[in-house]
Amino acid sequence: MKCLTNNPAARRFYRRFLGTFVLYALILPLTTLVFVHYHPTGPLAYPLAVLPAIPMLGLLAIFGLYLAEEKDEFQRTVGVQSMLCGIGGTLTVTSVWGFLEDYVHIRHLDPIFTITIFWVFLGLSIPVLLARYK
Amino acid sequence: MKNRLRVLRAEREWSQADLAQRLEVSRQSVNAIETGKFDPSLPLAFKLARLFETTIEAIFSEETDSEFSGRTVANDKLA
Repeated sequence: MKCLTNNPAARRFYRRFLGTFVLYALILPLTTLVFVHYHPTGPLAYPLAVLPAIPMLGLLAIFGLYLAEEKDEFQRTVGVQSMLCGIGGTLTVTSVWGFLEDYVHIRHLDPIFTITIFWVFLGLSIPVLLARYK
Repeated sequence: MKNRLRVLRAEREWSQADLAQRLEVSRQSVNAIETGKFDPSLPLAFKLARLFETTIEAIFSEETDSEFSGRTVANDKLA
């Protein structure tokens, strides 16, 4: 993701983001492994299945924390606007995809990918937003 | 909103990075304010006024560029 700035709040954000992403990269194959080899069922299967979603949602909380900690109001504005771009982009892609699925039967979009779409739009919007302010 | 940050900065021979350091913001922020694409909050406007030892009105205005950029801090103090 394009660097917003290099102040302490942004550095903390990158550190937390990377740490949580590494955690996700560890939890995801581990969960898959458990389901493939041990086929958990019943009440235990539900929290286990949700486990990889925790760091994914954590990334959103980390971005929120960055916005709360960022003292530079311009950077905070760009951060908020990029989040809006992420939300807008995600809603657009998923809505359009949904209609395409319904009417022309394209491949089903797994809801797991919505958060990835959000981060892609958020990340891509930052350099565009920064360029607008130059 | 028009502003005289570039002029005030030039009078002190400060770069955008120098001003950003004094304001504890990023250079991108100073550039965005200077080009009039981002309006600072009231606390940041006060911080700028204190830094340049002038008033907020002497830095920011809704006047046109030509009317505004010719003014100096010295003239504002006399007025």
